[in-house]
Amino acid sequence: MSLIYRLKGEQPTFMHGLHDYLGEIGPFVARVRNPLLKLPMLALKSIEWSIYRWHKTPIRRFYGVKGNELIYMITNACNDRCPKCAIWERPEPRTQHLPVERFLECLRRLHQNVYQVTLTGGEPLLFKKDVMLIAEEARKLGVPMVTITNGRFLDQTFLTRYKGLGHILVVSVDSVDRDKWNEFRGTKSFDVVMPRIMLAKQILGSQLRIQSVLSQESEAEVAKVAAWCREQGLQHNIQLYQDFGTVFWRSTRTTAEMADDPVPCAARKNICIYPNGDVVKCFDHRRIPVAKEPLGNIATQDIIEILCGKHSVEVSRAMKTCNLPCKQMSCNRPQALLFK
Amino acid sequence: MSALIIPCYVKSEWDLRCLRRLLDSIQAQSQPFERVYLVDDASPRSYDVPHPLVERITLETNGGPARARNLGVSRALKSGTDIILFTDHDCILDREWNEKMCSFLARGQFAAAGGMTWSWGKTLLDRYHELNGTLAGKWLLPERKELWYMPSLNFGMRAFAAEEFPFDERFPTAAGEDVDLCLRLRSKYRIGFCPEAKLWHDYGYRSTVTGFLRFLRLFKKYKSSSATLYEGHTVLMWDASESIYAGNMHEPHL
Repeated sequence: MSLIYRLKGEQPTFMHGLHDYLGEIGPFVARVRNPLLKLPMLALKSIEWSIYRWHKTPIRRFYGVKGNELIYMITNACNDRCPKCAIWERPEPRTQHLPVERFLECLRRLHQNVYQVTLTGGEPLLFKKDVMLIAEEARKLGVPMVTITNGRFLDQTFLTRYKGLGHILVVSVDSVDRDKWNEFRGTKSFDVVMPRIMLAKQILGSQLRIQSVLSQESEAEVAKVAAWCREQGLQHNIQLYQDFGTVFWRSTRTTAEMADDPVPCAARKNICIYPNGDVVKCFDHRRIPVAKEPLGNIATQDIIEILCGKHSVEVSRAMKTCNLPCKQMSCNRPQALLFK
Repeated sequence: MSALIIPCYVKSEWDLRCLRRLLDSIQAQSQPFERVYLVDDASPRSYDVPHPLVERITLETNGGPARARNLGVSRALKSGTDIILFTDHDCILDREWNEKMCSFLARGQFAAAGGMTWSWGKTLLDRYHELNGTLAGKWLLPERKELWYMPSLNFGMRAFAAEEFPFDERFPTAAGEDVDLCLRLRSKYRIGFCPEAKLWHDYGYRSTVTGFLRFLRLFKKYKSSSATLYEGHTVLMWDASESIYAGNMHEPHL
């Protein structure tokens, strides 16, 4: 367990190694009934453990394989009022908002094992300064970042700095029709956002993505968004709608028909941080009995300790067999081998 | 109706002796196999298979045990087999192995199953493998009602599971490909443990001293595959497991 989230990629500490060794040796020695065999068996087990340590760490380093996506739901607050999304209805109190420094610390601790950090919300750009700090830290640590926004707060300064950091920006677009857009968003934001998307396209180029939420209401519109993106030369992704607790709807069209990349940007998410710093493995965890409570909170705890805890292991097991509709977002599916 | 698949790569006299010994134990089964596929993975050494029951498939190029087993599986599926069993050339089957595996899988509780693996040799290193459960599979904790994984030397699948979950042929050697298969399989089905289906594995140690290098090489091979393997199964790898040995081979609630 402790090897999965190493404290430092290149230099595991002595205590870390000792803990791992004792965890392996203890149960094994208890199996040896013959007292004369205890010592030789202990020696052989120690040799096996050494081989394990020797091969486990370097191979991870050589292949550079990173298995986790770190998703930070930076705020519940939003300047849109989408009727299908209830997140904006419960913005976190200012006193409960996680200080950005705590998230940066979490990122530093985990970056060896993270292939992507994703910022989402609410509307993340309500905390534009924090987004930029995280983007800069991610760049420094060599972790690719994706920010998912409604596009209302995009401006030239932000986009130029963001472009320089090499990260991906995803703008949510569920319709390219003004009336439908305003209906889906619950605000008259079409005329505000569309020029900003064009500005983002001009500045970010291939670092810009458009993402649509595919639901029963938006199904016909999403096809038009896909066509518009093709015209504009923009990459389009589809995120399947999740109602988090009620009815699940499945599109009659395949997502592949309508998107360049049918894998939702948020797929494979397995370390999620809420605005107050709570850590969960799945945004829909409240539907899994054992996972109702968060695994911990990074405002007061170390992320590696949280992820190596017993509760975390139990939740992973539950996620594997939960059979909730969000399974299609692939959180429970074993990933394919990453080396080819 | 069951088919047995044996991938083999014969490169020495010892391999050949092992293979003959296995074939003899196949011949002596209380319930004979419907078919036995011996998939020769382009062995450098030529040999005869005098057993009439065995269908030999010879590959032109060496592609690893995953590819060899997949080929055997496709032949077995074509023949309409219900249960597909796997073992290795350096194993010796208990007389009732096929009978026990088939009756266990036929109960329908599990899509795949493993049996109990014992060491053939009597050295200290062999004794270590038995206590360590090196090739005896792992219980999924905390219940110990199903397996986390089972090595392919003592493994069986129902035909539908074998069709759906082939071995990943990107694994070049006999290390990790069986764990990978079990982890994928467990995303949909369960793997059971049948302690009565016994077989013995010959690790090839002549003595504790002379076998020591072989012992090191064995773990080096297994462990070097584990990091890449685990990275491919981010969620399932977090399950707690415990290797099986004589002291815990019977699940507590049976």
